[in-house]
Amino acid sequence: MHRRHLAVDSVTLRPSLSVRLLLFILMSVSAAAAAADSSLEQAQTAQLESLRKEVAGQLQLQAYDLVDELVYGWTERPPFVVDTPVVLADVSVPVGFGSGLQALIENHFASLLIKNSHSHVILSHCPQCTSVVVHSGPKGTVVSRGADAPEALASAGIASGSRRALFLDFEIEGSALVLRARITSLEPTLPIVYARTLTTSTSSAALLRSEDHLKSAEEARKEYLDLLQGKGALQVPLRLGIRSYAAGDGAVSLAVPFVWIQLGVEVALSQSRAWTAAASVGFSWAPSTHQGYLANARFSRLLTGQTTSLSHPDLYAFLGASAIEVRGPDALAFQPKTATTENILAAVRGTPPEMMFASFEVGLTLKVKNRIGVSVYLEDSPALNQAPSIGKIIDLGVVQFHSFGAEVSVCF
Amino acid sequence: MAFYLLTLLLLPLPTFAVRANDPAPGVWQSRTDARGMDCVNLGQALAHERYPAEIPDLPARRLDGPANTLVCTRRFLPPDERRPRDEAILSQLGASVLELTQAATALAPPGLTWHADAFYPDEQVGQKIAVAARMALAETGHVVSDRVPLLTGGDIAVIGRMAPQDGYPLACSRYYAEQVMGMKDAFLGVMILDGRETQLHAGTCIAGTWRWIR
Repeated sequence: MHRRHLAVDSVTLRPSLSVRLLLFILMSVSAAAAAADSSLEQAQTAQLESLRKEVAGQLQLQAYDLVDELVYGWTERPPFVVDTPVVLADVSVPVGFGSGLQALIENHFASLLIKNSHSHVILSHCPQCTSVVVHSGPKGTVVSRGADAPEALASAGIASGSRRALFLDFEIEGSALVLRARITSLEPTLPIVYARTLTTSTSSAALLRSEDHLKSAEEARKEYLDLLQGKGALQVPLRLGIRSYAAGDGAVSLAVPFVWIQLGVEVALSQSRAWTAAASVGFSWAPSTHQGYLANARFSRLLTGQTTSLSHPDLYAFLGASAIEVRGPDALAFQPKTATTENILAAVRGTPPEMMFASFEVGLTLKVKNRIGVSVYLEDSPALNQAPSIGKIIDLGVVQFHSFGAEVSVCF
Repeated sequence: MAFYLLTLLLLPLPTFAVRANDPAPGVWQSRTDARGMDCVNLGQALAHERYPAEIPDLPARRLDGPANTLVCTRRFLPPDERRPRDEAILSQLGASVLELTQAATALAPPGLTWHADAFYPDEQVGQKIAVAARMALAETGHVVSDRVPLLTGGDIAVIGRMAPQDGYPLACSRYYAEQVMGMKDAFLGVMILDGRETQLHAGTCIAGTWRWIR
């Protein structure tokens, strides 16, 4: 685009008015296009930066995990018999990443070594080892890092023989992050005295561990399995819910929302908890108006994936059936006769009416870690078709939903 | 009527929910996203070993055999984030370098000190290849040095103009002529011979003789 501008600017002929007008239009169009290109580039750059941040975030956690595993290995099998000064000569990050990630890894590594001194690796400060040095000898002049030219360090008066240089090299290989760690003895032949490759594809799932108490991959895996198995096939859910019935036409409406407390058991029908079955009993009470009892059974199917997630909420769909008994003046609303003011007063003064009916429910449950859940559902109570005080929330012809419910549950 | 229509609309929902995990491009995943997945076919037992929360263990009795398990992991970087040649080489780096080092050491006499270097157009990627080669040698029990044998500027000026098939053998003989390497040293060079290829080649230099591994 910039070249086009130059081409227009370099016209030296004296053009006619129409040609000048045409040139003006072309310049305006090209300027607009340049502005659009510029904003597009900015948007692409912003998107790229956002992507880089996201990737770097994931990468940083996995890099920390590999460094943890490396230092843990040193605490179990120290690479040196006695405390040995080691210079962190280089941390190279995957191709395409900058020095920000490098600095984070260096700091984490230093922190780990300070807190795990029994690894016998003592971080040592040697600015000459990591900076570029120039060394002239009989074979010529060599310009290199100090760690790559031990002769230069020796001639500079640094006791190279007592030092080791550590190199941490991270690289992305497909979907795995690979750490190649090596320690080189800073003597003329630069022998590699320790080498270990760690990869996220063969180690256990990434787990951030406490710096003060590192674990082996096996221990971390065992904890993970314990956590999975700790879910248990059997759980005891406690539910607090509310059912609201649609008001019917032409009658005194008594269909107040019913608050229910339910307690029961829930069984996972497979290890992945894709299918669950639950049974519960419930109780509802409101002063002077009703007391209710309920027995409920549900079958739930996981919709989000094949198995429950420990990190994301799980969405289940469920079908269920309930037997509900209501005693007290509110039961009049469910009876197949019109509830009048006289009926209500008679019910308050005399024998309380009671009504028992069955309901079929369909709904959704959102669960977090199989512990806390929120559910919404619609209920069809065929017996209530005859109750003039109860209306329909949704009428699908064959299926008529009379009530809407919502509940929160906690599983023990 | 409305009920039947609603039922018809809801019927495919479970299928869609199951398809949400399908790594193939489709309703839930674009072609670009699908290309960003790294998939490997594992047996159910191994898949359960690695992903116990997601894949159930083999049942005690099963007539239809273990289930086929495709494990897909999202790549860290989209396929077009790095140069295609670099991405192709780096994504298989560990496996390809291990294969080359095993072939190289199998042909060499024992007791040598190994040096390794990579010759690749991009310096940073070349460094990654060289480090991977040294690590593979060290982890298979060989004596490895971090020092890279260097030639003089005059040698490099001449060898740099030669074809690879001639240049590497000449460089090998110069290492020994200049006494940069001794008879107890061995050199492994890993390189690409053509700028368009994505396969690594390797050769060894032992006692002044260059030998192509691949």
